[in-house]
Amino acid sequence: MKELKIIVCAKQIPDPEAPFSAVTVDSKKKEVKVDAPEVISPYDENALEAALRIKESSKAFITVLSVGSSLSDTVLRKAIAAGADQLVMVEDDSFGRLDSYSTAYVLSKAISMLGEYDLILTGRQAGDWDWGQVGLILGEILGLPTINMAAGITVRDGHVEVSRLVPAGLELVEAKMPALVTVSNEVGELRYVSRSKILGMLKKRIPIKKVSKGDLNLEPEFLNTMELLELLPPSDMRRDCVIVEGATGKEKAERLFEIIKQIL
Amino acid sequence: MLPFRDTFFMIQNKWIFYLISGLVVAFVVLVFFYYVATWKKALSGKTNTNKRPNIRSLFIAIKNVFLGIRIFKDDILAGIMHFLIFWGFFALLIGTILLSIHEHIVKFLMGNIYIVFSVIMEIAGLFLISGTVIAIFRRYILKVKRLQSYTEDLLIPLFLILIVSSGFLLEALRIAQNPQRWEKWSFVGWYLKELFGPGVSEGAYPYIWWFHAILSLSFLLFIPLTKLAHTILAPTSIYLQNLPKEDGDKAQMEEEDSASEGSDKEAQLPQRPFLTLSHLIFLDACMRCGRCVEVCPSTLAGEDYAPRDFVQGLRAWVWQSFSSHGDPRLFTERSPDKMQRIWNCTTCRACLEVCPVYGPTFELVMGERTLAIEEGTSVPDLLNQTLERLYKYENPWMSSKKEKLGWIEEGSSIGFITKSFKPEFCYFVGCTTSVDPRARGIAKAFSNILRSSGLEFGIFGEKEPCCGDMAKRVGELGLFEEKKMSCSDLFQSYGVKNVVTSSPHCYFNFKNEYPQGMFNVFHYTQLIHKLIKERNLTIKKRLDFTVTYHDPCYLGRHSRIFNEPREIIRSIPGIKLIEMTHNRENSLCCGGGGGRMWQGNELNGTERMSERRAKEAKETGADVVLTACPLCLIMMEDAIKTLGYEKNLKVMDINELLKMAIDEEKR
Ligand code: SF4
Ligand code: SF4
Repeated sequence: MKELKIIVCAKQIPDPEAPFSAVTVDSKKKEVKVDAPEVISPYDENALEAALRIKESSKAFITVLSVGSSLSDTVLRKAIAAGADQLVMVEDDSFGRLDSYSTAYVLSKAISMLGEYDLILTGRQAGDWDWGQVGLILGEILGLPTINMAAGITVRDGHVEVSRLVPAGLELVEAKMPALVTVSNEVGELRYVSRSKILGMLKKRIPIKKVSKGDLNLEPEFLNTMELLELLPPSDMRRDCVIVEGATGKEKAERLFEIIKQIL
Repeated sequence: MLPFRDTFFMIQNKWIFYLISGLVVAFVVLVFFYYVATWKKALSGKTNTNKRPNIRSLFIAIKNVFLGIRIFKDDILAGIMHFLIFWGFFALLIGTILLSIHEHIVKFLMGNIYIVFSVIMEIAGLFLISGTVIAIFRRYILKVKRLQSYTEDLLIPLFLILIVSSGFLLEALRIAQNPQRWEKWSFVGWYLKELFGPGVSEGAYPYIWWFHAILSLSFLLFIPLTKLAHTILAPTSIYLQNLPKEDGDKAQMEEEDSASEGSDKEAQLPQRPFLTLSHLIFLDACMRCGRCVEVCPSTLAGEDYAPRDFVQGLRAWVWQSFSSHGDPRLFTERSPDKMQRIWNCTTCRACLEVCPVYGPTFELVMGERTLAIEEGTSVPDLLNQTLERLYKYENPWMSSKKEKLGWIEEGSSIGFITKSFKPEFCYFVGCTTSVDPRARGIAKAFSNILRSSGLEFGIFGEKEPCCGDMAKRVGELGLFEEKKMSCSDLFQSYGVKNVVTSSPHCYFNFKNEYPQGMFNVFHYTQLIHKLIKERNLTIKKRLDFTVTYHDPCYLGRHSRIFNEPREIIRSIPGIKLIEMTHNRENSLCCGGGGGRMWQGNELNGTERMSERRAKEAKETGADVVLTACPLCLIMMEDAIKTLGYEKNLKVMDINELLKMAIDEEKR
């Protein structure tokens, strides 16, 4: 059987699941800071998991591709430790605030540079801005059959079969490969990657390809950065827990009602 | 005439007997060699940890073998049963050997010695037969719940009964032919002889003799082929398990490290690198007695897990994977399926406390977890997320490092350890105590108590890492090593000499899993106990409560701190302490340890572990159930709420109660 070439696009972001108190919003610099290491966007992790599951049943070579600024290989190595075969980091200071189209454009250039592929997987949306555009635009640029919101993916004789989330449930669609699929969390969480595996990766020489802006022959007119007009923290980020006491259910409910009235 | 007996009375061709005996012994030895060969294969490539001979553990082994201490524990009938069978069998075995010595080497079984010998043999036979009858009675008539019934469980006692009765029969026939006066000391045979005339006995004797001989010898054959293997393996297991602990993790990590370096080595590595020789012997020594099942909080709560089944599953796996000619046990669990249930165990150590062969089942469970963590795909989602959080935010909760200060009350002056403030004691608050709204009460109360004692202490606050307990218990050894390093480095760089912890988990970890001698570690109960004894704390108020105390697993069973908490409680005037049914080393786990705190509800059974415990606390009629661990505090608090006991039963940490007693102002 031919080896499947799978590309998983992964974005590095501040932890979207961070506890509230670890997040600071810097309105001046227009930045959100999290007091913790950055992570791979959760839906992209789901996409990686989907790829790894395909690899479990058929021969596959998984490339994890990331575009951004100040990418950290300690974060992205997790993908290799999880079982991906190659890491490609496309990095430039100007890539920090690319808009969706431009990000998809850079990704498409990098993918063309990588050569042949059968399947491209992306998360359904990024965990920071939640726009959900890059995957679909990328499919468009590459001229690929594109299926979004995958809850399950199987690959069979040159086709990819996707059970896709629709409001009423799931629908089963099939496309000829090469194809692009954007993946939702229903596919399953990324398998646990132990610290010793990740640390082991630091000791080993692992296949990381670093690509710079210059390598990709990018047309400047397609590189648009978005401009943030304003970034404001929610007015009050405090949270508190009050246990409403009372002798009877009714009493508790009445007190709860009072408290809610006060807040509103 | 001197009393004596002719060993081979009326028996020709006794060489056949010796030939068969020789063959049987050779077979038994051979099969045990096969065990050893299989264990060796299971350990292949592993550096054998050099454990030194140890008198204490030898003593424990001897005590257990000859007195059957653990078998008497909580089950007198079982104890009597085993005592009778053991001593009966042991005496008869020695007796048979003595007879051979008498026959071939020195004649000494004569006169009074012979009479004493006869009496002892009679009693031994009676012991054996009555022990066996009790065994059958317990398993098949009383139907003791923890006992299983495999074929061997019936076969072995029947065999024994047959051997002993044929022995007595033989004796009766011998005496019937030549009823000497002294033979009345062989009292069973003496009475039975009346049944036979001399004619009968003469004809039947040689047949019965051979029947008895062959039966006895074939019984020996069964030793390595059935659960009787425990006769040899149980003492070995008890001895090995009680040797001082080695740093098993470090060895395992090193193994894994070297494995990842060279791929040639990888092929030889055992697939279960955590297994040690003592573990392997324990697996084969387990005779399915089910004592562990009876005390396991997970099994008791109706969860789909039982330590015995896990052990038997793992045993089956070892023989399936490493034996060259299959499993020598004739009747046993052949499927390794049950070893898949690795997330239920709370590592509470209750099973080890009762296991007659001192089997540390939870260690094996933790070993299996390390494999699951490395493999990754079978780690439950919730645990996956928790470990990620522990790595990123230094606590397994949904809290940031900043929130670790949340328990400090406004206006209270708690010192932070710095390069210039190096107090006598570092109070290691711990993740859960720092961030959980309920558990924070422990830190609030304890810091107040310390202040009133005048003891100089400080905390690390936001800088305080997680001690790594949770990572270690769920098998994330890499993360644990990282945490261990962060803590050790921090303590070292600030010259910390004494650490006092809120949580028994941090305490146990620092004490047992960290490099020895770097710093002294105390659980708060030990420190407070000392402060009270040295009169640095004055208790000012009388509290008229009835309380009961729940021993946290990692404080009690794992760290053997049973008395200090109780003495602190009793030092408060007015307090009446009543014990729950399960107390001290028999305490019942609240269900929060071993990472269970952060596991989903899918593992739950018919009841929550904590609810079982809360019900027991309620039964005592106490006003307050006290504990000394943040996890227990949270679990018990929840249980009492879900059970609707809040009005009559409060949950408190010992600190919280003590603080009430030393506070001046009225509450
Ligand atoms: S340690 Fe506790 S929970 Fe685990 S198997 Fe033993 S008794 Fe059961
Ligand atoms: S592990 Fe120990 S307590 Fe449990 S069945 Fe085996 S021998 Fe009995």
